Amino acid sequence: MMQLSRLASLGLSALTALVFLLLYGPLLVPIVSSFFEIAHGDVQWSIPSLSSYAALTHNEGIITAFLNTLIVGFCATFLAVVLGTLFALHYRNGASLGRDAMQFVIFLPFLMPPIIIGLSLLIFFREADIPRSLITVIIGHATFVLALAYRTIVVRLQSLSVSLMEASYDLGASSWQTFFYIVLPNLKSALIGAAVLCFALSFDETLITILVTGTDNTLPIRLWAMMRLGFTPDINALVALILAFTTLMCILAVRYLLPKEAADASA
Amino acid sequence: MLFVGDRQAKGWRLAISVLAYSLPFIFIVTPLLSFLTYSFFWVEGGQMHYDPTLRNYARFFTDAIFVPVLWQTCLLCLAVAALAALIGYPVAFRLATLSGRRKYVLLMLVLVPLLMSYIIKIYAIRSILGGNGFLNRFLIWANLIDQPLTLFVFNLNAVLLTLTVLLIPFAILPIFLSLERIPRNLIEASVDLGASNWQTFWRIILPLSLPGVVTAASFVFVLAIGDFLTPQMVGGPNGFTFGRIIYSQFGAAFNWPFGAALSVILSLVMAAVIAIGRRFEQRS
Repeated sequence: MMQLSRLASLGLSALTALVFLLLYGPLLVPIVSSFFEIAHGDVQWSIPSLSSYAALTHNEGIITAFLNTLIVGFCATFLAVVLGTLFALHYRNGASLGRDAMQFVIFLPFLMPPIIIGLSLLIFFREADIPRSLITVIIGHATFVLALAYRTIVVRLQSLSVSLMEASYDLGASSWQTFFYIVLPNLKSALIGAAVLCFALSFDETLITILVTGTDNTLPIRLWAMMRLGFTPDINALVALILAFTTLMCILAVRYLLPKEAADASA
Repeated sequence: MLFVGDRQAKGWRLAISVLAYSLPFIFIVTPLLSFLTYSFFWVEGGQMHYDPTLRNYARFFTDAIFVPVLWQTCLLCLAVAALAALIGYPVAFRLATLSGRRKYVLLMLVLVPLLMSYIIKIYAIRSILGGNGFLNRFLIWANLIDQPLTLFVFNLNAVLLTLTVLLIPFAILPIFLSLERIPRNLIEASVDLGASNWQTFWRIILPLSLPGVVTAASFVFVLAIGDFLTPQMVGGPNGFTFGRIIYSQFGAAFNWPFGAALSVILSLVMAAVIAIGRRFEQRS
């Protein structure tokens, strides 16, 4: 891009900083508030304390919701990564029958608005007589994050040289041996990256979950239910913890998915 | 190729093929089809009727509520899209003018909020905009106002602002990509021929990045119009949007087929917006 004048460069940077303030600023409010005492339904700015964090450990609703979120996240991630790998292998195998159409179908839940996907699944579960529970939430999340897992894995698989596999066969390895000793190790970072990303998305997924869940709450749904009643300063600590967790996962995902590009960029 | 030409693995290969076709079909295609079919059923007195009819669609056009709400929602989302693209452009431009590691770090910082909990972001924004929120407290503390402002509390303004803040990252990315795609030699030629930075920007960069701006706006529009929780959380009784009407059909109103029909109409609007965006992109 062109060489900017000093003034233009400064102005642009100021605008960018302002936008970042808009993106990150709001998140600071609950984080800062979480370190102060809460009394009479309001934050007491003069009394710093960790009591809201201590209170979390006694809140059974939130702990259950957190466990549910973990269960859903792990199951959906596992399903998405395993199926994503299988589908990627299937298309890499040279199966071309309806390949573009099927890929389009796999990407649909990610591309379509969550309200449509959520309602479709809701109607489907009702017609198929599957009661709404954590299982339906897991299915919903898995269909949603599958696109991401598939895409990440298929890209890595395509960059894998065929001669590697041919060499393995020539040396007498079976298909399974080739898969476990050649393909899987080469896919490792893609698989981990895809899993982290899927888990992060599942962890925060709200719009589909709210439509397909039964009486079991995941964390975002629990938060939503609490906030519907009004401004509730007692969840600030929870909000701060979730943000810390998500940031950690972002850093992990970047580390596994972008090491090459980032290295190229800095070179 | 894996599993090809290996007799022992033939069964596995077949199993993988069966899974690769059946699972997406069962869990993606079937739900979408049943959803479409549902929009032709009808409900009366809490009883589902499974004979196909167009009455849901007829009700959408004849009832005096739905078309105006859809129109109003479209205008709202158009405003969100325009605002997000306008705010996103300078950031995308800044990103494109940076180089090396700084560019990628800043790009990551733009993308990180996308992975952050959507509910939490709404909560955070609400705690700033609300009647007893940060903004009002600050303004009162600074003696700029006496009474808390109600301009951004539980109405469409609040929905507009919240959606914009939530969706800005989606606007930045396509604009950034279109800026990156502009051939460097065009810009260099412009500078060599004596154009000032402003002239280069107005005559070369801006026109060539417009397709990205349109893509960004159509992305943001589609995401905004499909959202039903944000209006519910910050809109209050005055911030009624089409998404909320759809959601209420599956809750309080309990008319799933009608809700499905309204969603089909919503999808058509989205498809139209994406098609317009695509067309613009191809033409230029």
